[in-house]
Amino acid sequence: MTATMTQCLTQLVQTDYGMTDYQSEIEPRWCTGCGDNAILTAMQRLCRDEQLPPEKTVSVSGIGCASRLPHYMNAYGFHGIHGRALPIAEGIKIRRPDLSVFVTTGDGDNCSIGAAHWLHAVRYNMNMVVMLHDNQVYGLTKKQASPTSPKGLTTNTTPFGAALNPLNPLTVTLGISNVSFVAQVVDWIPELLYEVLHMAYKHKGFSFIRILQRCPNFMDHHFDNWMQDPARTRILTHSDGLRLKPELSRVYKKQETHDPLDMPRALALAALTDEVPVGILYKNPEVPCYDELRAGERPSTPSLVETVLNEEFDKVGIWPAETAEAGR
Amino acid sequence: MQHQTIAPTPMPSGPATPSLRPALFARYRALEDLRHDYPLILVDRKADRPLLRPLSRVIDDTLKRVAPADLSGEALRSQVLRLEAGIRARIFAGREGRLSDLWREVAAEMIETSGEAPFGALDNNLETARKALPLDGMVIGCDGETPGKVLRHAWDAKQAAKAHRFRKIVDGLILKLEDILKSDHMKSDEAHGPSALASAMGETANGAIDFGALSSVLHRARPEDRLPADRVDRIRGALGVLRCQPFFGPGRASHNCAERRDPYSYTFDTCSAALDAYRERLPDVLEFTKALTVAELEVAHKYRPELHDGILASFDESDLSAEQINLLPSALVCLRDGETESAEIARSYEALACGLPITVMIQVDDLLGPTSPEPPAHSFGAGTARLATMAIGLNNAFVLQCASAHIHGMNAELERGMEYEGPALFSIFSGATPSVPDVAPYIVSAAATESRAFPSFTYDPSAGGDWAARFDLTYNPQREADWPLHRLDYEDAQGQRQSEEVAFTFADFAACDSRYARFFQPVNGEAREEAPVTVRDWMKLQRAAANFSAPAIPVIDPDARLFRVTVEGKLAEMVRRCNDAWRRLQELAGINNSHALRLLQEDRLKREQTAESTPAAETPEPVAETPVPAEAPAAAQEGAADGAPWIETPRCTTCNECVQTNSALFAYDDNKQAYIKDPDAGTYRQLVEAAESCQVSIIHPGQPRNPDEADLEELIERAAPFN
Repeated sequence: MTATMTQCLTQLVQTDYGMTDYQSEIEPRWCTGCGDNAILTAMQRLCRDEQLPPEKTVSVSGIGCASRLPHYMNAYGFHGIHGRALPIAEGIKIRRPDLSVFVTTGDGDNCSIGAAHWLHAVRYNMNMVVMLHDNQVYGLTKKQASPTSPKGLTTNTTPFGAALNPLNPLTVTLGISNVSFVAQVVDWIPELLYEVLHMAYKHKGFSFIRILQRCPNFMDHHFDNWMQDPARTRILTHSDGLRLKPELSRVYKKQETHDPLDMPRALALAALTDEVPVGILYKNPEVPCYDELRAGERPSTPSLVETVLNEEFDKVGIWPAETAEAGR
Repeated sequence: MQHQTIAPTPMPSGPATPSLRPALFARYRALEDLRHDYPLILVDRKADRPLLRPLSRVIDDTLKRVAPADLSGEALRSQVLRLEAGIRARIFAGREGRLSDLWREVAAEMIETSGEAPFGALDNNLETARKALPLDGMVIGCDGETPGKVLRHAWDAKQAAKAHRFRKIVDGLILKLEDILKSDHMKSDEAHGPSALASAMGETANGAIDFGALSSVLHRARPEDRLPADRVDRIRGALGVLRCQPFFGPGRASHNCAERRDPYSYTFDTCSAALDAYRERLPDVLEFTKALTVAELEVAHKYRPELHDGILASFDESDLSAEQINLLPSALVCLRDGETESAEIARSYEALACGLPITVMIQVDDLLGPTSPEPPAHSFGAGTARLATMAIGLNNAFVLQCASAHIHGMNAELERGMEYEGPALFSIFSGATPSVPDVAPYIVSAAATESRAFPSFTYDPSAGGDWAARFDLTYNPQREADWPLHRLDYEDAQGQRQSEEVAFTFADFAACDSRYARFFQPVNGEAREEAPVTVRDWMKLQRAAANFSAPAIPVIDPDARLFRVTVEGKLAEMVRRCNDAWRRLQELAGINNSHALRLLQEDRLKREQTAESTPAAETPEPVAETPVPAEAPAAAQEGAADGAPWIETPRCTTCNECVQTNSALFAYDDNKQAYIKDPDAGTYRQLVEAAESCQVSIIHPGQPRNPDEADLEELIERAAPFN
């Protein structure tokens, strides 16, 4: 196929975005040693490698440490309200399908106050990437137990230790109908973090990544057991999933070939407690996307929307003048 | 179905009777009783529906849905088939209408004649079947107007699809450009003025809000980054052109253009008119194409005046791409032999040759023409059957030739021709020849294909680079043969059933034309010693011998009596020419290709000559040894040999620990991952402390570089676990 005239003329305009084009003027205010830095870097690398125009990229967040991310991206951003990152992102996507939408949210933001939106966003399967920064604690408010905090964790709200077993974001997401992409990765293996993020971006649909993220201030050494013992990381590889480079392959010897379409195995892997599965748990590109299903064949104009809405309202409208006349 | 014929019957002497017909026509006398491709439904266009569908197939599809296959469905089946016969009778009587309307009309009549009450069993059955009809559309018969109706229907469907695509693109761009202007307007003084704020709040504010104060508050926080004036002008200019374009009717986003003209018409009676219109509309086409490009670039925020202004200013018709032209409607020109000026044929080839988006239909009603050599007024000449073959020579046009009877069979090809991005020519024989009064046009048009007088074929330049891909002769009966062969059953003078195989030739086709009756002379069995020679045998004779004999064909008279007539003089020569043209087409389709046959013959001769000598055994080519795969790349450097400090950069999590220790010693690379920028820019202590605080333990301090540094022994001990 030959290029159109617009494509040719666009080629004349040089755009070679580098990492710094995606870095905002504000320096990240995350603590030194925080895993969020690695996630931000991976996201900026993805934008650079895919040459996403900053003006066509949006990151949306709720409230929490993780949700500060839009401030540090030189792109459009929406720092929303607690737990409501997903509805905002859905609104952006359905109105502007041409934008690349990234959602950053934390375990408190997404799995507690925003849990209802999370379920329905998975079911809607709209085309966006969701990064759940899971440090298993409320960090911004200085250590309270979150839904994913491990049982027994002493925090300001659980001085005698957390009473309940933690919620598993992976098994929950895998259990929702229309789920199309679920992955887990850890912030301390940046290559895999980047690879998984890249695959999530390429997937058409709602790509959910749970990222185990270190919090050096309130959960110091919490992930040390996994970080320091590669045998406790199970890397999921597949021709349609992750492919390990030899360097990583030598360190992470525990590998499993996992077909991303194998849901029963994905559920079993997601439920592992002594090991951390890293890679694509589930990926199904055939699941319909709500934004595509609802996209009309013809564009809706603002005046058309207004006309139709007014007609609908008029069906049940009470007109003061008429009511007054009737009452006379 | 067999017929009753008696043969051979001596013909009365004198001129041949004008109502001869080929013997093979005998079984198709009552066409209106036969379920065939007509009546044909011009299907209302919807995705995944065909353009055309015969009534009989639609009825079959419907019955399959609603009538159980067993005996319980028998009543419904027979009622619906009777209704179909009713519709067919109406179409044959010259009626035309939509399937649903005709259905209701015939159903009402059937109910009335049956004496059944409305809402009775018959009414219920027919209504159930009507609701199960898979499609609706105009029902047409086969007559002189059929080719025009079918082509217009196909062209309309294509234009509707084009309009849909066009509006989706253009309306989408208009809305996006309006969004850009709107977002700029929101930053203007006007949008922040008290009156604008008040109107935004609606009528219920009741003075509770001081809009003046609100305006001044908003004014302070108003962003200053307005769009440059030249960009606003450019967007407005493009919007104006897109909204008021004259090619298709307005879409949802473009109905509010004050200066809208009526959309251009794209159907023409002559190619001259089509070419004139093309030239006249060219400025509008160029203006629209430029506006579309500007809009696409502006929406993507990629318009750079310094780069693009010059290119667009010099843009003219020679820069128009096929894709840009194909976004706009294409022209349809309908020419008709006998009505259109003869010179139009030359103009149509001119229009096709220059590659304009034009679809030309040439309708031919009279293939044979008058017996005199000079063509009548407004005739395309004696070569009407060769017009499509000539168009193949243009090489860039899609060409389709078929007779009315085969239009449905070539439905897919018709659609492909309409979709073809370039000029297209459709040459269609209607079968409604005035000098063939007693035979239905459907039969005449089918006979034209059968006799090779008007073969069906397509030439599609987009299908591939060679003749085999482009040229298709599939839709001809028995295409490997000179003439199609059929079995003719008849009853002889003794009342015995006889059967013989006869070819349907050009002479048979000419036999039904009253003007050509004078070229047929009855065979007088007693006058000739040998049996009359068939056309096939006659063709095999050398030209000299052929001049002294005449081929004979079996014909019937109006009472279906069989006899044989010889084909005389000029007509016999036409038979030979027709066969010659057919063989040329066969060769194009790869049948009996003369080049291939010659090569085969030469090859066979060569092989016979070399058969005696033993061919030398070929030495097999030495198989190149598979190269041994190179050693896997050496493992990543596990440590610097010289004791220099190093970092496993790909594992860095960008956590800032080390760069905050000493940003001259540690720095980030292009991927924002840490590396040792300058090992001498810091102390060994800093290296060791960074290694200790690194969360992922990827810093290796190596050996101290400055032997005078304090506490070296202790530091080397602390560095050991990281080296």
